[in-house]
Amino acid sequence: MEKSNRLYVFIGILVLIGIIFISRLFYLQIIDTSNYYKAQAYGSNEITIYPARGTIVDRYGKLMVYNDAVYDLMVVPQKAKDFDKVALCNELMLDTVEFNKRLKKATKYNPREASVIYKNLPFHLYTRLQEIIYQFPAFYIETKIDRRYNINGAAHLLGYMGEVTEKQLTLDKYYKPGDIKGITGLEKSYEIYLRGKKGKKVVLVDKFSKQQGSFAGGKFDSLPSAGQNVISAIDLDLQVFGEQLLANKIGSIVAIEPSTGEVLSIVNSPNYDPNLLVGQRRNKNFASLLLDPSKPLFNRALKAPYPPGSTFKTVQALIGMQEGVLTPDTKYPCHGGYHMGSITVGCHAHGSPLDLKNSITKSCNAYYCYVYRSILDNPRYNSVQDAYVKWTQYLNSFGIGVNTGIDLPEESRGIVKKPSWFEYEFGKNWRSSNVVSMSIGQGQIGLTPLQMANIAAIIANRGYYYTPHVVRSIGDQHFVPPSFKQRHYTMVNSMYFDTIIAGMANVCSPGGTASRTGIPGISICAKTGTAQNPHGKDHSIFIAFAPRDNPKIAICVIVENGGFGADYAAPIANLMIERYLAKDRTVPTQKPDMLDRMMKANLTGKTSTVKDSVIIAKPN
Amino acid sequence: MEEKLHIDWLSVILYILIVLFGAINIYSANSGVDEVLKLDFSKEYGKQILFIGISAIIVFLILLTDYKFFNFSAYGIYIVVIGLLLVLLATGSFNKGAQAWFKIGSFKLQPSEFAKYATALALAKFLGTFDVKFEGKRNILISFGIILFPMLLTLLQNDTGSALVFGCFVLVLFREGLSGWWLILGVYLLTIFVITILLPSIQIIIALLIICGLFTYFNRARKQLVFLALTVFLASSFYVLSLDFVFAKILKPHQQQRILVTLNQDVDEYYAKKSKGFSIFKFEKSKEKDKSESKRDYSYNVRQSKISIGAGRWVGNGFNNGTQTKAKLVPEQHTDFIFCTVGEEYGFVGSTLFIAIYLLLIGRIYYLAERQKNVFSRVFGYSTASILFFHFFVNIGMAIGILPVIGIPLPFMSYGGSSLISFSMLLFTFLKLDANRINEISRLN
Repeated sequence: MEKSNRLYVFIGILVLIGIIFISRLFYLQIIDTSNYYKAQAYGSNEITIYPARGTIVDRYGKLMVYNDAVYDLMVVPQKAKDFDKVALCNELMLDTVEFNKRLKKATKYNPREASVIYKNLPFHLYTRLQEIIYQFPAFYIETKIDRRYNINGAAHLLGYMGEVTEKQLTLDKYYKPGDIKGITGLEKSYEIYLRGKKGKKVVLVDKFSKQQGSFAGGKFDSLPSAGQNVISAIDLDLQVFGEQLLANKIGSIVAIEPSTGEVLSIVNSPNYDPNLLVGQRRNKNFASLLLDPSKPLFNRALKAPYPPGSTFKTVQALIGMQEGVLTPDTKYPCHGGYHMGSITVGCHAHGSPLDLKNSITKSCNAYYCYVYRSILDNPRYNSVQDAYVKWTQYLNSFGIGVNTGIDLPEESRGIVKKPSWFEYEFGKNWRSSNVVSMSIGQGQIGLTPLQMANIAAIIANRGYYYTPHVVRSIGDQHFVPPSFKQRHYTMVNSMYFDTIIAGMANVCSPGGTASRTGIPGISICAKTGTAQNPHGKDHSIFIAFAPRDNPKIAICVIVENGGFGADYAAPIANLMIERYLAKDRTVPTQKPDMLDRMMKANLTGKTSTVKDSVIIAKPN
Repeated sequence: MEEKLHIDWLSVILYILIVLFGAINIYSANSGVDEVLKLDFSKEYGKQILFIGISAIIVFLILLTDYKFFNFSAYGIYIVVIGLLLVLLATGSFNKGAQAWFKIGSFKLQPSEFAKYATALALAKFLGTFDVKFEGKRNILISFGIILFPMLLTLLQNDTGSALVFGCFVLVLFREGLSGWWLILGVYLLTIFVITILLPSIQIIIALLIICGLFTYFNRARKQLVFLALTVFLASSFYVLSLDFVFAKILKPHQQQRILVTLNQDVDEYYAKKSKGFSIFKFEKSKEKDKSESKRDYSYNVRQSKISIGAGRWVGNGFNNGTQTKAKLVPEQHTDFIFCTVGEEYGFVGSTLFIAIYLLLIGRIYYLAERQKNVFSRVFGYSTASILFFHFFVNIGMAIGILPVIGIPLPFMSYGGSSLISFSMLLFTFLKLDANRINEISRLN
């Protein structure tokens, strides 16, 4: 071969190598897509940007729940070498021994990962550190969002937050392990509105997972959108007032605006400060609340079925009239009670006989034994059982024995027994006399305070109610769930309500069962109740609404072991009504003695209240 | 004497294109993610701009120099560079395991880069000497000596990559008359080498024996061929055994592993097999530290490099948008792995175009070299093209994972002053010589 022709060998080699390289590139870049996906996995790290959670305000726009930034000083122990420890300790106002202890703890946990070395920096320290933090490369300030409550009560209503469980993670893809969500109260039931939309930032990371900036020019990034603010129907002032009134007592207050079904306040006692269940002391405080024998975590207003006592007579009378076994003019005698065979239902001293209106005002027990028995023994029905079933249907239409549908979790239906229960108890042919105690709201009947307040609202509305709801509207668009606007009519015709209301209107007047608790100038329609309690002193119960025409508030108060309805429940309810109806809340009550007595009353038998003991355990 | 500059503008344009493209890619690989585009001479891309400037000045000076200077001073330059390499060996400062740098202020001078230039000059000078041809024992020995001496010195600096580059002069010698059999032999030896590492040596020897036996059987009438076959068999067997020995006993664990990674071998598995009598020679199982380090380094480099290139798909992510590049996931990306940036940011289309342009430049230099009228220019031209080709072949070959990781730069592209300046000198010295080809002809006439 002529040597100069060897040039073609060289050119040939170049072409060959070119083909090999380009083929290889075609394989790497076009055919083998795994590299492309690996590239996305290796070089990027997805960071979730949490949206600001929606706030909760009261019906007048007063802030109840909001978010607060908390600042933690973080340290990466491995990098924390050769820095001016004394200077940093001086800034933090921490002695070096304590500082070393914390640093050692952080190192022990994980020397390469950031740990908190100073939790919840006070604001002045935070601003100061911002200026000098650059001198300490191993340290940085992390901003976290924490929930804050403007009120140290209303805990059952507002609810608390907690970490999502594994089960919730599988149910809702929104959450990632370690996320926080509403566990109870409004925080839970309005979670999907409050939580907002998470954003994400895909960042470029190097082989040490160190962030290098945004990935692919921010192509995959999305901004978070803040949660919607929830406007509640709660009257914060009334709520706080109710909690003061119920302090040192066990019980519950539920107040509803009858014309809308909006819940004005839900008070439980014992209560606790919702601020206890935020921040790093949360778990410790939660444990102590859980173990507290007074059960501060228990939501009595929604979950505790109480015998309604005499307040139940209103419902009995309405059903009786609708069933045609009772007219406003029906009179029954009462001589110290109802006697039939071995059965005696006692009654207090009052005139006899009474008509329907006065039976409410005076709360005659015997009257309602006759009424209830006439309902159950109504010849229209084949049997007592059939009549009883019909009667329970009436109750259900009053929201008794069924969920009211309130927009809070964990509501109890109360207690309404099925006929089979009585068959089991009294035999197949049980009779109305077996269940006569139910005529006055005792025995096999249980209503939650919410359900009783709802009855007051139904009577105020003359025959219908709106599903009680704590929230007025959601977000800037003021979205109102359609179910809030739906009227639920009872099975009782509205014309029957007037007599009952007339009777209730006199309860707080001379001659009524709560005659001394009335508020001058306010036409309060009410019914007292005294529920017998096998475990101790009677529960004091009171349902009311006011004013008589165009009612603004319907209320139920229960004070456990409070004695007669007029003893505690009635004064508290009437003070609440007065407070709510007053245009100016600073105007003092017309019943200062009554207020003073209620405020000072201590029925728990403890010198330090539950609330006080909880306050000792304030977060940091 | 007014002389018109008959420089080959095609090569110059290709050179400028590649150098500027290199600077762009170094910027991409080197700058932070959200960094504003600006000239910062403290950063590598800024320095590269500086090196381009210096190269331009040197190129200008070369073009001004009388072409006879290179022929005249070839041995002198060779001796100076050899001297530098010797000094470096004696006093060299440590850098990445290779004693290859002179520190001048904040810059480092790498004499081995210039050694290629000097060797090309010296070889051209020797073969271009009147009456000297690549024939006869003496001339062949001297030719190899000129190449092997700087190669050995570079090897002693632990700079295996740069030392291997001197192997490319075999291509030059092939043009000057070295038998093509040697190239075939080279490919044969390389093939046996790969098979030896992948398979137990006993099996290879048995396979060779069978082939040889069959060959001998069918050619039993021709004694010469039988003799040749037996020689080849014995030599090959010896080669296999010595390879096995060298690989197991002489190569350092990191060198073994570089080769294994290239051959897609799982290093741990390989050692496990080898220790179970896979090899005749017992493997010194590499020490823990060495193992973990080298395994991470070499397989990691290649894997990241492949991911980075693969991420480019058809047209790439675009300038400064390569995710792997910006995340600095490929080590040494601005130097030896600069092709990853091309692959990721310009995709298959860009990479193919780049390879085509690069090969066009090399091919152009071979073509220009062949048309030289004097041997000095021709040998120097072939040397230039072969050096560039070897670098190109090995560098991109390792980036796309078909050759072992050998740390040598991609000429005109990789970051580094010594390499850019020395390659520019190489190219433009030849272009200067080529430009004077016309004068030579005119003078001859």
